[in-house]
Formats: sequence, C-alpha cells, structure tokens
Amino acid sequence: MPKSASDKRHFIIAAALIAVSTVALYFLLERGMPLPPGASTEAGIIDNLIHWHLAVIAFLFSLVVVFMLYALVVFRKREGDDSEGEHFEGNTVLEIVWTVVPLIFVVVFAFYGINTLAEVTKAGPNEFEVEAIGQQWSWTFQYPNGVVAAELYIPINQRIHVSMQSKDVLHSFWIPEMRVKQDLVPGQNTEIRFTTTKVGDYKVRCAELCGRSHYSMETPVHVLEQADYDQWMSEQAAAQNVAVAQSAGATE
Amino acid sequence: MSLMQLGLVRGLIGQAIGTIIGLALVTLLRAVFGADPAWVPEPAWVGGAIIGGIGFMYGVGALDDWIKWVRGIPTPLHHGPPPGKPAWMRYFSVDYNHKIIGIQYGVTGLVMLMIGGSFALIFRTELVQPGLQFLAPDQYLTVMSLHGWTALMSILLAIGGLANYLVPLMVGAEDMAFPRLNAFAYWINVPAITLLLTSLFFGWDGGWTVYPPLSTVGSMGFQFVFYGIFMLGLSSIVGSINIIVTMIRMRPPGMSLFRMPIFCWAVLATSFLQMTATQFIGMAFLMLSWQRLLGMGFFDPAKGGTPVLFQHLFWFYSHPAVYIFVLPGLGIISEILPVFSRKPLFGYRWVALSSVAIALVGFIVWGHHMFVSGYAEYLRVPFMVSTLLVAVPTGVKFFSWLGTMWGGRLTFPTPMLFVLGAISVFLIGGLSGPILGTVASDMFLTDTYFVVGHFHSTIFGGYTFPFIAAIYFWYPKITGRMYNETMGKVHFWIMTPAFWMMALGQMSIGVMGMRRRISDYDPALHVEFGHTLITIAGFAIAFSILLMVYNLLHSLDVGKLAGNNPWGSRSPEWQIPSPVPEHSYATPIRIVGEPYDYGLANSTYVQMGTGSPASFGGSHAVAHAGDD
Repeated sequence: MPKSASDKRHFIIAAALIAVSTVALYFLLERGMPLPPGASTEAGIIDNLIHWHLAVIAFLFSLVVVFMLYALVVFRKREGDDSEGEHFEGNTVLEIVWTVVPLIFVVVFAFYGINTLAEVTKAGPNEFEVEAIGQQWSWTFQYPNGVVAAELYIPINQRIHVSMQSKDVLHSFWIPEMRVKQDLVPGQNTEIRFTTTKVGDYKVRCAELCGRSHYSMETPVHVLEQADYDQWMSEQAAAQNVAVAQSAGATE
Repeated sequence: MSLMQLGLVRGLIGQAIGTIIGLALVTLLRAVFGADPAWVPEPAWVGGAIIGGIGFMYGVGALDDWIKWVRGIPTPLHHGPPPGKPAWMRYFSVDYNHKIIGIQYGVTGLVMLMIGGSFALIFRTELVQPGLQFLAPDQYLTVMSLHGWTALMSILLAIGGLANYLVPLMVGAEDMAFPRLNAFAYWINVPAITLLLTSLFFGWDGGWTVYPPLSTVGSMGFQFVFYGIFMLGLSSIVGSINIIVTMIRMRPPGMSLFRMPIFCWAVLATSFLQMTATQFIGMAFLMLSWQRLLGMGFFDPAKGGTPVLFQHLFWFYSHPAVYIFVLPGLGIISEILPVFSRKPLFGYRWVALSSVAIALVGFIVWGHHMFVSGYAEYLRVPFMVSTLLVAVPTGVKFFSWLGTMWGGRLTFPTPMLFVLGAISVFLIGGLSGPILGTVASDMFLTDTYFVVGHFHSTIFGGYTFPFIAAIYFWYPKITGRMYNETMGKVHFWIMTPAFWMMALGQMSIGVMGMRRRISDYDPALHVEFGHTLITIAGFAIAFSILLMVYNLLHSLDVGKLAGNNPWGSRSPEWQIPSPVPEHSYATPIRIVGEPYDYGLANSTYVQMGTGSPASFGGSHAVAHAGDD
C-alpha cells in the first residue's frame, strides 16, 4: 500500500471508488426518495431538476466520503508507529480549485434553476380559471360562472390558473402529484399554475400550519376528461342555478 | 444547609414573587383606569412574565454588584468557592469565573437537549400509526412546537458553554472581559426556560416559527414563548459582545488573529452574527405580543399590516441563526481533527475566512424560506442565487478537513469518532440544501418532511455531534479524569446509524408527500413504515445520550486520571493542569509559533510564562474597566 500522501496511486484508486460509489448511490437515492407519480407538465420539469440534484448529491457525497474513508483506512496510525503525520499546511492551488469548481456548479444550477422557475410559473393564453378559498380547515372552489364546489374539479390538458385567498390564517395549496405549492395569505391574492396531464383523483393538502386541524385540511381533486368535466359543470350549474354558457367560455 | 443558599432557588422564588407582582400590577392598573373587566388573563400574565424575569435576576443575585455600583459600594472580584460553602454550590449560584459559567451553560444546554428530545419522542410515538392515538391535535402541536424551541435553546446554551469555557483558555486570558455581564448572560436563560416550559400548560400551536395570523389569534401560550425567547435573545446579544471583546482585547503577546486556535475564529463569526441579528427576532416577537395585547396591526391586513412582513423579520434572524448554531460546531471539527490526525489543519486561513464568508452570505439568504410565501415574485431569483453561494465556503471546509486527514496518523478515540460522524451528518445536511435552494424543486419539497430531514442533519452535524465530540474531548481537561472509552464508542455506534436512519427516513417520507406539523397522516401515502423506523431511531438516539450522561457522571469518580494533556494537543489549555486551576494560567503565556504544526520538528506554539501573575496586562486592564 502506498504510504506518501502525494502518491498518485492514492488518487487513482480513490477516483475509481468515487465513480462506482456515485453510480450506486444515485440508484439508491432514486429508489429511496420515491416521488409520487407526476400528473402535470410541471411535475416533469421539476422531477428532472430533482433527478439532476440527486445525481450531483450522489457525486459530492461519494467525493467526500470516499476520500474520508480512504484516509481513515490508509492513513490510520499503525501499531507501534509513533511518528507524526506528514507536515504540510495547505495548498493554495487546491484551495482555489475547490473554491472555483463549486462556484461553477453554483452558476450552472442557478441558471438551470432560473429556467425551471420561469417554465413552471409562466402565464399562458386561455388558462382555465378557478378560485380557491382557504379557511380553517376546509377549501372552497369558485368557478368564473359562479359555481361553487367543496371539491376541485378540473379538466385534463389545461393550464390551470388558481387564484387564492385566505379567510383567516396562512394556508398553502399543494397537490403533490402536480408538485407546485403556494401559500394563501390573508389580505392578499396569491396564484399558482399547473398543467394537468393525467386523469385521476388527487388531493389538495394544506401545507402551511394553520392550527389544530391542519392535518385534516385535505380535499379531493378530480382531473376529468373535457367531456366529463363539461357534464359535471352543467349539472352543477343547473343545480346551483347559474348560466352554463359562461362556463363554456371559461374552459375554452 | 438551607436551600435558600442556592442562587437558583432564590432566583426561582424571585421569579414567582415577580410574577405575582406583575399579575397584580396589571390588574390594579386596569382597575384604576376603569377597564372592565379588571382581570384579563393575557395582559396580566404578560406583566407577570416580564416582572417575573426581573425578579429572577434580582433573586439569583446577578444584579447585586451593579446595584452596589449605583450605591457607590466597592465590589472586588471574588475568586474560588464562596467562603464557608462547598464547591459544588458555585454551580447553582452566581459565580463570575468563566469556567464555572461555561459548565453552567453547557450542562443547562445538555438538560435542554434532553427535554427537547423527550418532547420529540412523545410526538414521534404518536406518529407511528396513522390516526390520532394519545395526543389531541392541539396537544400534538404544542409538544411539537416546544420541541423546536427547547432544542434551539439547548443549542444557544451549549455554544455559550463551549465559547465561555474555551475561548478565555484558548487565548490565554484570565477570564472573560466582563465577568458580571457574563454571569448575567447565563442566568437570564433560566427565567427564559421557565417561561418557555410554562407555555406547555397554556398551549400554543404555531410551530417554532410562530407565523401570524395563527400566532396572533391562538391560545395564550404564545406570550410565554415571545418573552422567553426575548430573554434568550438578550443573553445572546450581551454574551456575544463579551466574547468578541475578550477575543479582540485579551489575546497574549504573539497571538495574531491568524494564530488563534481555529475554534476562536468560528466563535468570532458566530458572535458577530448573534450581536447583529438577534435584535430582529426580539423585535418581531414583541410586535406579535403587542398585536395580541394592544391591537397594533403590524401583521394584520385589516389594519394595513401584512403577515408576510413577520416572515421577513423572523428569517432575517433565524437564517443567520442556523449559522450561529453550526459555525461553532464546525470550529470544533476543525479544532479536533488535527489533534487526532497528527497533522496541521489544512489551509488554516481558508478555514478561518470561510467561517466569516458563511456568516456574511448568511445575511442575504433569508428569503429562501419564503419562496412560496406570497412575497414579490422577482425576489425568488436573487435569494436562490445567494443561497446556492453558501455551498462555496462550506465546500472549502469539507475539503480542508479531507486535506487535514490525508497523510496523517489517524487514531479514533470517541471524540474523533464523533467528529467523523459530524462530518458525515453535516454532509447529508449540506447536500440536501441546494435541492431546497432552487425554487422549482422547493415548491415541491417545502413544508414537507424533506425539510425536517435537511434541518435535522444540518443541526446534528453542525451542533449535536460536534458538541458531543467536544464534551468527550475536553472532559479530561474539565474534570481531570478520563471518561469510559468503551461506553463512548458504544454511544457513537448507536447514535450515528440511528441518526442516518432518522434523517434519511424523514427526507424519504417527505418526498412521498408527508407534510410537516401534522398529528395524523393519510394512510394512502404509505409512510407508516418510514414513520416507525424514524421513531425507533429517535428512541435509539435518546438511549445513546442517556448512556453518555451515565458515562460522564460515573467517570467523575472512577475515571482514570487524565494528566495535563492526554491527547497531545498543542492548544494552550492543554499545557496546564487538569482540572484547570481557579486561575487558569499561573503566569501569562506567549505565542511563539503556529497553532497546528503537528509533525514539524522543534516547533512550539505556546511558551508558558515565567513572569509574575500581575503581568496579565490586557485582562486586568479590561476587567478593571468593567469594575468601575
């Protein structure tokens, strides 16, 4: 086993171990951090970002831990050896390298982060409008035609624009399958956008502590085929006695 | 011997009397001014909380000398145990010796850690199954919120303990610059703890972040938290000033700033953060209190305020606070690693300045806690970029630690194991940060258990593990005896895997959709197994901490004698007898070399003094300035 700290063989072995460890760790992380199935365009964008993060985490974790474990084994004090370690106080080139390289990572991720943010929050034409009102401890949804519902019904393949108000304290609108999240603030309108891609039943879960029954502030969300949605809407409109014509315009 | 001889007992009685006076005074004032009804619990209890705090400080005797100054009575500094009383009583009364105060801080910090941990075990047990078992939702939230603040209090106390005990020793000073202020800064924590724990009986459901409007409409327990934390903040501010002055003014000849033991740099950076940021949370909590009491509309949209303002004020302290919590711990890692690697600290100046860099960047990242809070959208990008920048100086620390170990002669006694554990745990905490720092992924992960896992790894890696490493490392210096090494290693091998399981488990269920701060969860999330593992891990950690406490207490009597310098450290405090004598250094020391030149033949760092005790120039000058 090579003994000198600057022996190149140390670094070759460590580099090989880091490569193996990075791959293994990445697969472990992907399995150990199972994302709920995505149901929106934004979920795809955000999941990609998360996968990249996990890959970088796998690499950096391996980088530090492999070097650390390697040093613990190779540079441990041997029985009967009373000498001190090799005397070196630092290395300016190395310090600059490990300042600048992370800085490059930061710039790349900042750039990537800015782009994903712009993508998941951008407003589009012909958005499906709905209002969400949060209160301790329930949700109410109001459609532009005046229909009011206790559960959220939305059509598939639409960019949904939810504008939100709170009646009392802070709440947060979160459908895990859609990924995005936004707080509701009393006295202020906040908004959130997501594009539905999968028919199914989900739940909007309040994600900001709002008091005693915060845990139970969950309400079903139904993403429907356009026809099913239209049918639901016309039934609701009839039952609540409002004009269906407006709803057709709103869902365009 | 009567209990009344203990300052602590007198203080608590003073607090009780002060509380009664406060309750009566507010009620009387209301009656005099014709408010109807005269007795309203909340304002009365706030009056009680404030005057009770003053009552404690008066009762314990932390104000005695200052009152004498006002009256023109001389107050010479007394050294050693109080005349005619046993030495152990010093720890329960006002004492001006920084080593006593350091122990007071440290032990109180450890006790608070155990209380905070116990709160966690209570609600972790509730979470093993979906459904509500034995805690009602509001009880759950009270215990969960208290876990947060007791644990944070533990951190501030423990780093106060480390800084108080170690900094004067490391800079060869006789004591802190302002010994009386030092005692005040410790003792004000005790009424703070009393108030915080009293909140348990009144209930509060806001989490440690106490965001309004919830905290301005919820039950009265909030008020006890506000004033408890206010007193804690006062301790932070005056304590940090004391430490800064000590470090700047009382170093021995030859100890330039870049020749201080590296822990001092970490404490210096932390102290500047404490001195400049703590006011914000104090102010924010007073504003909450006054909105509740007086109807001032700071955060009330109906009166022109906004709830989001509170979040800015809160995080303007509470983000730097995270660096206050972890910088001393990272300093401990950098301090202990070279000793057990028998090598110089790699890139001393880079490590020192990276602490300063983290502290500075720490001031401009608070908005990353608020990406989805509803603040102006353009703020998201600058806060994202500044947040990612923290990775750079933090990376410097990690790489420097690797460089320190590389090529050394490593040994692995318990403190070294905990240092290595700290590095691995802080690494998990650090690496789970950027994913929360980029806004889009944060929109998914914020307010989930992923954040809980991230935060706990940061704090365990930056505080708990290093604090435990420090306890084992300096135990021989403090007590003169060695702890039990086998028990120490068992502690490590239980706690470290258990913590990994806990933190990774929290992150995992967070990704699966588990929200924070809920007493019951949707079985459809399939997080029950994860919760069970986390709870088991929590109990394992608690057991291992109890093992440590037993080890420390037991070894006081039976541990083998440590000698001056069992670890072969070059730092000044290891060149004097263990336990450290009343006057740490018989004569002033000189610094004649670099602190970490392990492996360099014929190098010296500390030259023990030969002069007379009276030549502690700097320390005496400042201490006397404090006297007058």
